[in-house]
Amino acid sequence: MLESVVSTKESKKTNVETKTQAKYWKPYQTRWNIASLLTIVLAYIVNQVVPSQEYVSNGTYRWFLVIYFVYLAAVYIAGSFIHGKVRLYSGHFAQLNASIGLLLVVQDLLTEKYAIVKQPFFVSFAQILDQMKTDHALLLASTWSSLGLWLISFIIGTVIGVALGLFMGRYRQFNYWAFPYLKVIGIIPAAAWMPLTMVIFPTSYLAEIFLIAFSVWFPVAFMTIGGVQSISENYFESAKTLGFTESQILRKIVIPGALPNIFIGIFTAMGLSFTMLVISEMIGAKVGLGWYINWAKGVGNYTQVYAAIVIMAILFSVIFSFLNKVQEYSLRWRQKTN
Amino acid sequence: MVQLAIKDVDRVLHDNNGQKINVLKDINLKVGSGEFISIIGPSGCGKTTLLRLISGLDTPENGQVSVDGKLITEPDVSRGYVFQHGSLFPWETIRENISSGLKAIHGHDYDHELVDQYIDLMGLKGFESAYPHQVSGGMAQRAALARSIVLKPELLLLDEPMGALDAFTRADVQDVIQKVWKQTKTTMILVTHDIDEAIYLGTQIVVMTPRPGKIKEIVDNPLDFPRNRTSDEFLNFRREIQDKLNFGVNET
Repeated sequence: MLESVVSTKESKKTNVETKTQAKYWKPYQTRWNIASLLTIVLAYIVNQVVPSQEYVSNGTYRWFLVIYFVYLAAVYIAGSFIHGKVRLYSGHFAQLNASIGLLLVVQDLLTEKYAIVKQPFFVSFAQILDQMKTDHALLLASTWSSLGLWLISFIIGTVIGVALGLFMGRYRQFNYWAFPYLKVIGIIPAAAWMPLTMVIFPTSYLAEIFLIAFSVWFPVAFMTIGGVQSISENYFESAKTLGFTESQILRKIVIPGALPNIFIGIFTAMGLSFTMLVISEMIGAKVGLGWYINWAKGVGNYTQVYAAIVIMAILFSVIFSFLNKVQEYSLRWRQKTN
Repeated sequence: MVQLAIKDVDRVLHDNNGQKINVLKDINLKVGSGEFISIIGPSGCGKTTLLRLISGLDTPENGQVSVDGKLITEPDVSRGYVFQHGSLFPWETIRENISSGLKAIHGHDYDHELVDQYIDLMGLKGFESAYPHQVSGGMAQRAALARSIVLKPELLLLDEPMGALDAFTRADVQDVIQKVWKQTKTTMILVTHDIDEAIYLGTQIVVMTPRPGKIKEIVDNPLDFPRNRTSDEFLNFRREIQDKLNFGVNET
């Protein structure tokens, strides 16, 4: 018996190793590591040497390049000494980092240096970073405000969607009465409600919550129904012979059994909710990243528009990764198919 | 002492064309306390349906199924049911699965030691925190068995629990079932299409025939424990049961 304990632990360890190897599959090549460092050096030199069309404060951009360079160099040096996850990681992303360095050179030349693309609609990354630095207080406040609004609306939408989906999936009577109505209502794009919500709700904040939550509940509910109905009858019958009550069946069978599908619904809804977040902030709000973009457009400062877009890219990516981790943990019982 | 009584039971299903199919017809069976009944018959003889009627997962058109004089209308923890395969909850670990019934009845203060005992007895030690997909088919079936037996049912219904296992694992799980039966003295009813298995485990063999599903004969098993699958007595009794099943009737 002790043997079996040891063997499961060992197989767990090798599992983690093969997982890392499957994730970082590109072979380690020193030349690509050096190439990526060189492209960042090149980006710095180009920014320093080639004269700009008009005055741009490049300080923040250069600091960014220095930090990027130091980070990559540190990873590479660590990877060349330690054979393990760090080495696999640095080897895998070397080519990608080289392409990013090259892209930084190209965008610098196209915009700030030679103004080949139309000005002022296309600005350099240096300008965006500088804008983010000068505007950091307002941008930070806008980001927090957007994150807060999104979070509360997304949670409300998800909870309603999951609850309706579970009941419609589990109870035929409820499904009979609710599904036809909800299907017709749910298929309406949330944006269509916008003019009405602005007058119906007492505050625009409530209207925004409604619009975002509205874009979330339907895909979640719809996927949840399918999830509940796909649960094997075996589990329900087992539960009955094991003395489960109806509420225990809901908690122990229906919810975990539908969870894989609930997550599919949540990820579909996430994209829609980001869209509705920005749109509703552009229309009704006095704060938030959507409002910031609209305001910047009004005053004709396109660098600010880009700054907000870059922040959105980061914010939404972080939310996506976080939800991905939650999903991975919640569904750890599932057999990996790859 | 008669524990389970099945009286004049019919179970009728309708196929896609509305045709009546007699899945079970005129079933009469009395099972004494502590017996091990093996129900054997070819596919389509309604043996699984009969087991489902006993559990309460299904109800008959005519007739009555009762335990200790009480009519069965719905599933109950006093009648455990082990499915052919794939009934462990995939989102719970082996330990959580085994304790799920206890937890449902007693809450979190269930008898943890009892669960440990059965994990030991079933040879599942070291795999408590594994998920069902991570263990072998034999282990999964032993865990499913533990999950039912830990509730100390009066009657344990086994629906071909070894049907999806290879020959070696099957013999291993059969021994585990026999050990549990001897230790707990639980009445067990096993449905199988494996003649050796039926004889190895059963104190009585119920032979069924299909279309309509009927009990052809109830045979007392003359073999003493411990049983040897290759002894002359075993093989002779096996031949007797085979004849009753018209097994290999077309062989020349």
